[in-house]
Amino acid sequence: MEEIKPRGQEREVKNIGGASIDGAPIAYIVVLAAVVTALAFIPFSVVMASGGSFPMNQGIFGLIGWVLGPIAGAVSSGIGALIGVFVAPHTAGVWFVTVIGAIVTSFAAGVMGTQNSKRKAWWIGVVVVTLIAFGIYVGRAILVNGIRLQWAVLATFVNWSSLLLFILPTRNLVVKWIGSKNLVFVAIGLALGTWISFGIAHTVQNAFTYTMFNWPEEVWVMLSSIIPIEFLSRCAIGAVIGTGVIAGLRAIGLVKPSEGVY
Amino acid sequence: MRENIVEIENVSYSYPRSPGMVLSEISLEIKKGEFFGLIGPTGAGKTTFCCALNGIVPQFYGGRFFGKIAIAGLDTLDHPISILAKHVGQVYEDPETQLIATSVENEIAFALENLKVPREEIMRRIPRVLEAVRLDGMEKKHPAELSGGQKQRLAIAAALAAQPDLLVLDEPTSQLDPIGAQEVFSTVYKLNKELGMTILMSSHAAEEMAEYADRIGLLSYGKMLLVDTPDRVYSDIPLLLENSLRVPQVASTFYSIQKKGVPISKIPVKLEEGKQAIRELVQKNDTACTLKIDDTSNVSKKGELLIHVKDLEHVYPDGTKALHGVSLDIHTGEYVLIVGQNGAGKTTLVRHFLNLLKPTSGVLNINGVDSKKLTVSELASHIGYIAQNPDNQIFNMTVWDEVSFALKNLKFSKEEILNRTEESLNSMGLLEFKDRHPLALPKGDRARVVIAAILAMYPDTIIFDEPTTGQDYKGSQYILDISRKLHKMGKTVIVITHHLYLMPDYAERVVVMGKGSILLDAPIRQAYLDTEKLNSTFLSPPQAVLLGKEISRIKDQEFPLLTPIEVADCFSKNGGAI
Repeated sequence: MEEIKPRGQEREVKNIGGASIDGAPIAYIVVLAAVVTALAFIPFSVVMASGGSFPMNQGIFGLIGWVLGPIAGAVSSGIGALIGVFVAPHTAGVWFVTVIGAIVTSFAAGVMGTQNSKRKAWWIGVVVVTLIAFGIYVGRAILVNGIRLQWAVLATFVNWSSLLLFILPTRNLVVKWIGSKNLVFVAIGLALGTWISFGIAHTVQNAFTYTMFNWPEEVWVMLSSIIPIEFLSRCAIGAVIGTGVIAGLRAIGLVKPSEGVY
Repeated sequence: MRENIVEIENVSYSYPRSPGMVLSEISLEIKKGEFFGLIGPTGAGKTTFCCALNGIVPQFYGGRFFGKIAIAGLDTLDHPISILAKHVGQVYEDPETQLIATSVENEIAFALENLKVPREEIMRRIPRVLEAVRLDGMEKKHPAELSGGQKQRLAIAAALAAQPDLLVLDEPTSQLDPIGAQEVFSTVYKLNKELGMTILMSSHAAEEMAEYADRIGLLSYGKMLLVDTPDRVYSDIPLLLENSLRVPQVASTFYSIQKKGVPISKIPVKLEEGKQAIRELVQKNDTACTLKIDDTSNVSKKGELLIHVKDLEHVYPDGTKALHGVSLDIHTGEYVLIVGQNGAGKTTLVRHFLNLLKPTSGVLNINGVDSKKLTVSELASHIGYIAQNPDNQIFNMTVWDEVSFALKNLKFSKEEILNRTEESLNSMGLLEFKDRHPLALPKGDRARVVIAAILAMYPDTIIFDEPTTGQDYKGSQYILDISRKLHKMGKTVIVITHHLYLMPDYAERVVVMGKGSILLDAPIRQAYLDTEKLNSTFLSPPQAVLLGKEISRIKDQEFPLLTPIEVADCFSKNGGAI
């Protein structure tokens, strides 16, 4: 049935000077930052390298990127993580590395799903930065500290696998799954996407932490099995929390940020 | 001639995902100093209309917008929301969601700080607006310490502080008890009459809207069907009923009398006008009311003793004495209404029935067993509790999961879960929504989801705690019809509500509570006529009761009338054949 055209003149709808960052309402950024801070209180793993515990919020940095987009997501995660460093020091680790990790994860996730045609090449920038960080991290391990290649490759499995998955079309597949109506696909997309986006951030983080701590080969051996398990935990957290958040956001029909992919 | 504050020309609007127009071809002008009432059923577009006045629609929500809205001459699509906010103050339904500061004065200062008002000016405005809403002296209090009515008045004060040209209130009293609602209405009326503030208020409170508004707009499916004086709008009863809107009981009474062939020149919509008209009518016509105060035709036979309460006391950990000396017996198959002001102890009392609270002293037996010996889960399988806000009880991803959740936890077989869930959803008319997210449903339907989840447990007793709060008339009736259906099935039903006018067709017995004790426990007819007791706990009897009292006063004989139909039947040709 053809809709009757209203008598009034159609107007251009735009948000003039509204409270938003990169198309994401400030309220969303604040709420998600608060969630990041709250989850900073919950430790979920013992960190071998830098002391302290991982905060649970690491599982949702990617989600925030897919909900808010690369810039608003990075702002939200960054603020949440920064506050978390102060209010929950038991999970903070190296404080600036924690904050960088939050920002990079959300940014990388947001770049995977950007709707903005002017940002279609941003993923290349992410790849370049990650490659540089990977070079610093692994290069230093092998060339300066003499870590054997086999352990360097095994312990950085999460790093190179996530970079590969980010470069390959899996980047787009993840976004497609997160936008799927089928919540099973949403959960799979969130899990895989969390692996990729946090893997990118983990590489950047380790460029700093390894330079600071230079952990010996014995630690690399242990990390080769521990890190993938920790990553799986992050993926599970991202999938469980993220599926609920996305299903809820879709159901209540709140305005969707312009860079949101759900 | 007064200038227009609001000018709306051919406005149509649809949200990004809505299939059709949510507002359609609306044209309206509101003059400075006017009190404009907006009525309409749930889903009519009232909130969208209110949000369009300060640009939130469409600037925040997006979608397609046609036509033009100008507030104090400013086009809402050409000016940022922050600029429009200086001209339009907005107050929403739930006061809890609007207050964010840690003190009353900080709450008012917050919006002003955002509008970059100088500090000295903020300090000048705070006492002024607090006085206007009668909260002066409470500057340092935490908003959480205020009553519901006070919280809503604080939200109004915060909106007023920006000195807007227009104050928009969207269902500001639907979450409040009668005294809180009355506080808000009288505050808004005072602002309108004494300070000349232009008001736009949407509300289901028909009696109050008839009393206070200068004009009423009836919105239905996004269309403004009628804009006229309250007298004309509320006397067009077929139109109101067609749109599932509640009619003030005075108007409903005279409409029913008119339908019986008694000539009525003008249907009154306000109580005082109604009393005057009924006096004239009684003097001109023969009346024949035959109901007696001890009428028990409506009361079902008492079953076995289900809940026995003797000298119950409850003191909260902070020392608040919530219940004292409460004694009460409830039998199986009864339909009991518990009424009283906020803080009277109603919810505290019924929470003892589920062991969610333990008596500080006194006796509480459920089915002859001391409640202290029963676990919450044992009680939950016999007594279903539907809390005030359905959203607090919803946490699953689909309607089906929500209704079957408890059954799975009680380890029922798969087949039993399937059968009970399907049966329960069917009885609530929700089967077609089984795969939807519960929060995606309208509020009335969300309440039905919670009821369905309770019914799936096959409880013998169901407690409805304020089931009609936040519901429109149709939604309230739907829920109460369910309660009646359950009662007819032999279940014991306990309802807590402030909305006395809804209950005569349902409840048999009324327990009136005040300040933690029982003031009156009587059959509904007797309880509703004890206006003194009701007033002592800040409850107003329905207008039909007051009209019946007026007839009693003139005839010098007690007529225990509860509903508009009963009052109208006094004037029927057969005479009081109720």
